[in-house]
Amino acid sequence: MAVAALPDTLVDELVAICGEDHVFTGRSALFNRARVPSPFPKHRWEEFIPQAVVLPTSAEQVSEVVKLANRAGVPVVPRAGGTGLTDGAVPLKHGILVDVKLMDKILEIDVEDRTVTVQPGINMLKLSEQLKPLGFIYPDNPASYPCSLVGGRIGTSGWSLIGGRYGHTRDLVISFEIVLPTGEIIHVGDGGGKKVRKSSSGYQLKHLFMGHQGTLGIVTEATLELVKRPEAEFSAFFAYKNYEDAWKATGDFARSGLATLAGVVLFDEWKVKYLRRDDEAYIPQPDWVNGVVAVAMYGQKDEVRAGAKHLMRIAKENGSHYLGDEISQGDWASRHDRYATPQHGRTRDGQVALMSWHCEDASILYSQLPAVREKWHAVADSLRERFDMFDDWGMFAYTNGAFKSWGDYLTEIDIGIWEMKWDDESWAAWVDAKREIARIAVEHGGSISACHGSCREGEVDLVPLELGGGFEVMKKIKRTLDPKNIMNPGKYLLDQAYEEGGE
Amino acid sequence: MAKIEKADQTTNGSPSEALVEEWRNAAYNCFSSGHKFCREVCPVMQVTRDERHTPTAFHANVVAMDEGHLTIEDVAEDYVHCTMCGACELRCPNTLFTGDFYRFRQRTIDVVRAMRTLAVEQGVHQEDWKRWAELTDRWGNEPVLGWRTETSGDKVRAWAAGLDLPTGGETVLFADCEAAFYRPSVPRAVALLLRAAGVEFGLMSQQWCCGGPMWETGYVDVAHKMAEHNMLDWRKTGTKRIICLDPHDYITIIEHYPSLDENFDEFEIVLGVDLIAELIRDGKLELTNPVELTVTYHDPCRLNKRLGKWQSPREILRAIPGLTFVDVDHVTQWSYCSGAGSNLATAKPELTAEISRRRVEKAAALEGVTTLVSACPWSERPLTEQGKAQGIEVFDIFELVAEAAGFEV
Repeated sequence: MAVAALPDTLVDELVAICGEDHVFTGRSALFNRARVPSPFPKHRWEEFIPQAVVLPTSAEQVSEVVKLANRAGVPVVPRAGGTGLTDGAVPLKHGILVDVKLMDKILEIDVEDRTVTVQPGINMLKLSEQLKPLGFIYPDNPASYPCSLVGGRIGTSGWSLIGGRYGHTRDLVISFEIVLPTGEIIHVGDGGGKKVRKSSSGYQLKHLFMGHQGTLGIVTEATLELVKRPEAEFSAFFAYKNYEDAWKATGDFARSGLATLAGVVLFDEWKVKYLRRDDEAYIPQPDWVNGVVAVAMYGQKDEVRAGAKHLMRIAKENGSHYLGDEISQGDWASRHDRYATPQHGRTRDGQVALMSWHCEDASILYSQLPAVREKWHAVADSLRERFDMFDDWGMFAYTNGAFKSWGDYLTEIDIGIWEMKWDDESWAAWVDAKREIARIAVEHGGSISACHGSCREGEVDLVPLELGGGFEVMKKIKRTLDPKNIMNPGKYLLDQAYEEGGE
Repeated sequence: MAKIEKADQTTNGSPSEALVEEWRNAAYNCFSSGHKFCREVCPVMQVTRDERHTPTAFHANVVAMDEGHLTIEDVAEDYVHCTMCGACELRCPNTLFTGDFYRFRQRTIDVVRAMRTLAVEQGVHQEDWKRWAELTDRWGNEPVLGWRTETSGDKVRAWAAGLDLPTGGETVLFADCEAAFYRPSVPRAVALLLRAAGVEFGLMSQQWCCGGPMWETGYVDVAHKMAEHNMLDWRKTGTKRIICLDPHDYITIIEHYPSLDENFDEFEIVLGVDLIAELIRDGKLELTNPVELTVTYHDPCRLNKRLGKWQSPREILRAIPGLTFVDVDHVTQWSYCSGAGSNLATAKPELTAEISRRRVEKAAALEGVTTLVSACPWSERPLTEQGKAQGIEVFDIFELVAEAAGFEV
């Protein structure tokens, strides 16, 4: 199915706005902006390509492009790093893709009020490289830390590995400038001041414009927390004979009340087994190890030293087996790189098959973790039984609350998928499995997604069930702010807003 | 290790299909990993910010060609945007964390090279690269002095005027095209240092281009012709040991020549900085002249990222009396590049200039640093150009060592 080209006059207008060097309609420009790392039906690639790509360099250009799209009735899809695990940056209805990567400047570092103002195309690792000599970091630290961009972090309302101490994206982004679906440029934050962290003035709009997966606008500038670099880190790995013990210990650590606690990670036995596939990448543990817990603390030396002592006392009391600091230093440091390499994929008979990593995430209450875990593995097993292209790579549970580590957990099941094998039948089975995984999360009082977003095929069907009346409000907001359904259409079932009551 | 399963795919044997067949697994390894950690270390991507120029796109295109979505005509120009520095391969989680166990390295440079070769085979040319290859073919050396200034015949040893170097012998000094014609102070420095240290060596009877840029830009026939000529020349003069002062020559010869000649093992290829470091270490080369400069070192990509060679130049710089050496870690320098590699400077001079400008800016930000030292003549032209605007002087490491040894070059 060939995609119709945009009229030449429209492309000319895009060129007039963004400049000739920043408007692309060639096939490779389009095909290379169709997908993100999540499973992609490559046999249907052409369904997901935009019709034109623009790389604007200012908010004004973004605004003019969006206004033009409104006049022409053509969809606009925002894209930052394109590293998300749901499909916010994937064009579902073609249109103009607004790629913000060229807007990657640091605009201001305010040491006095502790803020850094950036454009949305900057990456966190690159930002932290600039902040390091000044004694600061920007601690928004997802698995995609070396490649995702600030704009995408806002669009998905991301989660950070060390959010227990420093907060997640929504806590670290103080305010931002956003181009609305109709092209107006507004500022959103707590109150009016760009650098104000807490206000009671008016509606609190910041949360509304985060995590919308590009359906409510395009961020063009953001003011972020400038955080003092921690003096000290304590990271420890503990081993357990079974999942039950590891789960209990996770709860003990997370509820310790230690302010330096940045995160606790629980690995189940499937995950440990998966990591043993590669003894170079994971120091092999004795056979009796079926559960692992990792803990990280950050802060000033005085508080981390005292906190670590307290944490080790808890570990001793609950029977945790300390694995030494060799693995903890190396493994914690490389947490973001290691766990998903295609070569770890295995067919049912144990052959290596190059598999994509896909991580299904949810927010699950601590008390529900064991039950959800069993049900999720059953879903993965059933997929693997029917199609020898899926592989269960185990589960993680990470503390999910900002500054308060107890309560709910970012819970993920990693599923390897041999994507070279996709066909319509296996794709349909995968979508069904995602829906089932989402249903289990909702039925256990959780949320479909802790950090990726829940707008992909399958899971998205459960969003109205999860949000109830809230979903009805979402639709009203969408229709009000985006009367022509220009901004990233097809996401989050929001097209329904126009079917039911639209003009 | 377990055998890697292949999906059921067939080809009809066309050049594009043969490429896809060969690179499908490598490409799919990247496509399926999808981490994109390569992007922010890629010197080109840091400037253009265009997803078409990312290592992920270079692999995804192979998958898209496999699916029948893209052709070589659609993507050939995208593949110009690569200096073949190797940063993406190092930063790739596939290489970093499973390399040893699976004996695997994500091979992006090879995919870029294969695509450029396919483009040339299919008649999709980058005009300046084509001209470069044609002139190299005609003259024997690259047109590093411009399209109209012939680099042929005896001119390749003009840099050695007055040094009275013999022809041939057991050991020869291979002086890179860029160094021999554009920066003759570099080969002169090396020759003077070798002589001072008592190393006996000569020059080839007729040195041609190593062929590297031809392999890199897809003109494989010209590359083979250069390589075969050079090996014949070595044999003619009984040469067994070849000293390369330039990293590009060195990596070209060790990576490509062996596949062309089953007796290649008779040659020993020596890297200039390794040899000079050894001569200093062994006390054969004495550095007594203080060089009162505060310098930082630019890790040439072929040495640091491609071959893991970063120690010798640092050892040399630390041995120069009077020199203040402000080092930047070689891993930090994975994301640095001069932008000169793989003839990007000919096809996209403005891109090379911007990559170089950013590299010099990093040097200029270091406290007290006035000088950037490189060990790669190709990097030195764009770096010098950008250094002028930022008050940073650029030297080749051999030029500094020669000064420390009391020579004027």
